[in-house]
Amino acid sequence: MNTAMNASAMTLLKTLSSSGTVRNAFPNYELDESYDEMFSSTGIPRDHYHALYRTLLELPPEELRKSQQAADLSFLHQGITFTVYDNKEGTERIFPNDLLPRIIPGEEWRKIEAGLTQRIAALNLFLKDIYHEGHILADKIIPRELVYSCRHFRREMRGLNVPRDIYVSICGSDLVRLPDGSFAVLEDNLRVPSGVSYMLANRKVLKRVFPTLFRDYGVCPIDHYTSALLAILRSLAPVNSAGQNEPSIALLTPGVFNSAYFEHTFLAQQMGIELVEGRDLLVHDNIVYMRTTSGLRRVDVIYRRVDDDFLDPITFRPDSNLGVPGLFNAYRAGNVALANAIGTGVADDKAIYAYVPSIVKYYLGEDEILPNIKTYLLTEKSELGYVLDNMDKLVIKAVGESGGYGMLIGPHSTAEQREEFRARIIAQPRNYIAQPTLALSSAPCFLDGGVEARHVDLRPYILFNGSVTLVPGGLTRVALRRGSLVVNSSQGGGSKDTWVLRREIEVD
Amino acid sequence: MVYSIRHVTSFVYEPAIRESVMEVRVQPRNEARQRCLTFSLDISPRANIMTYRDFLGNTVHHFDIPGRHSQFKVTAQALVDVQAVPAPTPGAVGSWADLDSMVASGDFSEMLLPSQFAQSTELLRELTAELRLERSGDPLERMLELNHAIYGAFDYVQNVTSVDSPIDDALRDRKGVCQDLSHIMIAIVRELGVPCRYVSGYLCQRDGAHDRSADGATHAWLEAFLPGPGWVSFDPTNDLVGGERHIRVAVGRDYADVPPTRGVYKGDAESELSVAVMVTPAEAPSSEEITPRTVLRTRSPNRAGWEQFQHEQQQQ
Repeated sequence: MNTAMNASAMTLLKTLSSSGTVRNAFPNYELDESYDEMFSSTGIPRDHYHALYRTLLELPPEELRKSQQAADLSFLHQGITFTVYDNKEGTERIFPNDLLPRIIPGEEWRKIEAGLTQRIAALNLFLKDIYHEGHILADKIIPRELVYSCRHFRREMRGLNVPRDIYVSICGSDLVRLPDGSFAVLEDNLRVPSGVSYMLANRKVLKRVFPTLFRDYGVCPIDHYTSALLAILRSLAPVNSAGQNEPSIALLTPGVFNSAYFEHTFLAQQMGIELVEGRDLLVHDNIVYMRTTSGLRRVDVIYRRVDDDFLDPITFRPDSNLGVPGLFNAYRAGNVALANAIGTGVADDKAIYAYVPSIVKYYLGEDEILPNIKTYLLTEKSELGYVLDNMDKLVIKAVGESGGYGMLIGPHSTAEQREEFRARIIAQPRNYIAQPTLALSSAPCFLDGGVEARHVDLRPYILFNGSVTLVPGGLTRVALRRGSLVVNSSQGGGSKDTWVLRREIEVD
Repeated sequence: MVYSIRHVTSFVYEPAIRESVMEVRVQPRNEARQRCLTFSLDISPRANIMTYRDFLGNTVHHFDIPGRHSQFKVTAQALVDVQAVPAPTPGAVGSWADLDSMVASGDFSEMLLPSQFAQSTELLRELTAELRLERSGDPLERMLELNHAIYGAFDYVQNVTSVDSPIDDALRDRKGVCQDLSHIMIAIVRELGVPCRYVSGYLCQRDGAHDRSADGATHAWLEAFLPGPGWVSFDPTNDLVGGERHIRVAVGRDYADVPPTRGVYKGDAESELSVAVMVTPAEAPSSEEITPRTVLRTRSPNRAGWEQFQHEQQQQ
């Protein structure tokens, strides 16, 4: 920690800690078998949390409450909202933000960075391979039918070359911290990961709410995310395009009803690129154009936030009105670049996920730096039997879903829900996987005027163009309901700022 | 045998539509047993035609018409040389065990997994049970029996199913056209662990042959992979093993991979789709103009966005 903390405060803290009364400051702060980000298992604040801990003790709750209100107002004014599907009530909500930053020491971050860099390099090679020669399938590292039966496998991509062999330009991998304090990857999101705008908005607000604390902590900046994203998009522009020097880039959104529409407008505005819907684009003679008030303008690169299925009604779902007819053929001809490429979802299928350590080993010859979570493949008879017998202990997930949809959390499920999932699994075992219920780590949150522990995960955003740009931090998602393990914003989760520290913490 | 093929697809719209975008798979394949000597494609109104080969090696042409138009015509003409191949005989084909080991070492999953139109259903399982089909004896004999059994079990009737009918529509009354019968046989063959694929193409009608279907449409059949001869054609609509009269245009997992035309447009209009196909031996060129047969009249629902072009069912 920085030198701001004086020796007497330190002494006081240590005294309190050893007497076990530190946590008495936060009567509702419950520690369970999970790793807690702020407190060690004996209730002593971890070194990198001392300064925040002290601030929480010193600040009157009224001050914190005011800060929270100011933060909420700021989110409201910025229009930071998201949409929840399957909800009969109003679907648009303010994204709940928690006031207290989640703090990650620099040396922990470096390991995360190395692990994610390794992982995206391997997954990108995997995508290139399965859409070309398929060595990993011929070598029987991954069963061929597992890949070909993926809902997000796009056979239309076979033999098609993508710009610079980059399939995944933007990736958001979800990390969890296990009870022993180590990080593991829970899932990868290689299609259209969302949430980065909340990461940037959280930071903007927290810098205002805790200016001194922020400065004294030496937090790594993340503001360069959008310029790095823009650079990645530019690097994909077709070389034969007339606009080579100044490529024309657009962000394709499904429209105002999409859960991440706020983010689409935010990113387009930050990068100074056009925000378009499918109906704003057209393809003529294999070239993509944007309809503008001054006529048609060629588009070189599309940051698409529309799923593969809906991109082009000629090639994919014929009933899609969100896409652009002929887009895939323009893409095939190399006249427009898409980020991410089409067909990346096969690599974040939850059954393929189980093979990621093998994928890393196969392409890079290395052991994985960030481990996976144990995953039961229900196509394996022995694993299927175990899962059906232990549904109340496991988490069951549909393989092609994301956002926490199609999921059963065994310990929190009813017998009726388990029966329903049992029937679905038996009918289509390939469509589900199971994992042990994880004790996600918990972090301090400011709730109802007090500080309480809530479960969190971490989604860093990885930008890739052969090398990796990883802004230090990410979106820490919070399960706001007490005891809940579901952090997805679509399932009632919130988020908080994530502070990666520039230098090592020195206590005393 | 050299064939001359003329395939005309016309759409008429009232009122006019705009922004048509279309993909067509109408160029006969160029491969070992079949050579496409000449091919031409004509679009009216005029459009730039672009082309690519899809992941199954089929040639695809595509184009777009941005302005308003009330008619739209695609004319494909080809001269194709098809070589006669002696039909494989039982005994010349390897065993089920040979098949399994070839499948295990090759890239056949695409043609083994269920696909959109060729997948098992309750009604299909009933049919399979009736046929008492099992993996025994000679794989080719089993395929021939199945081909014959499907031919016998189904009446060839047009217009009881449509281009996007699931197989249950044909299974329910045991009636349908070549597209349905092919999907049904593909689903059964794959259940037996035999890789199987859909073929879109043309059949040259011949006097005296007992073909059930009339002239004037595209045809569909299937190919099963057998150890020894490789891909063998079966035509359950006509109880034939594919040969010199079958002209291959495109192969896929099922119809969804290889429709002769696929496209969308903008507009709210009454539409009429007509199709004409003429296949004649080239040494007897026919100069007579062919009359397209109206196959479908529809009205698109009144809504914003893209409408799908009506598509021709593979009926012959």
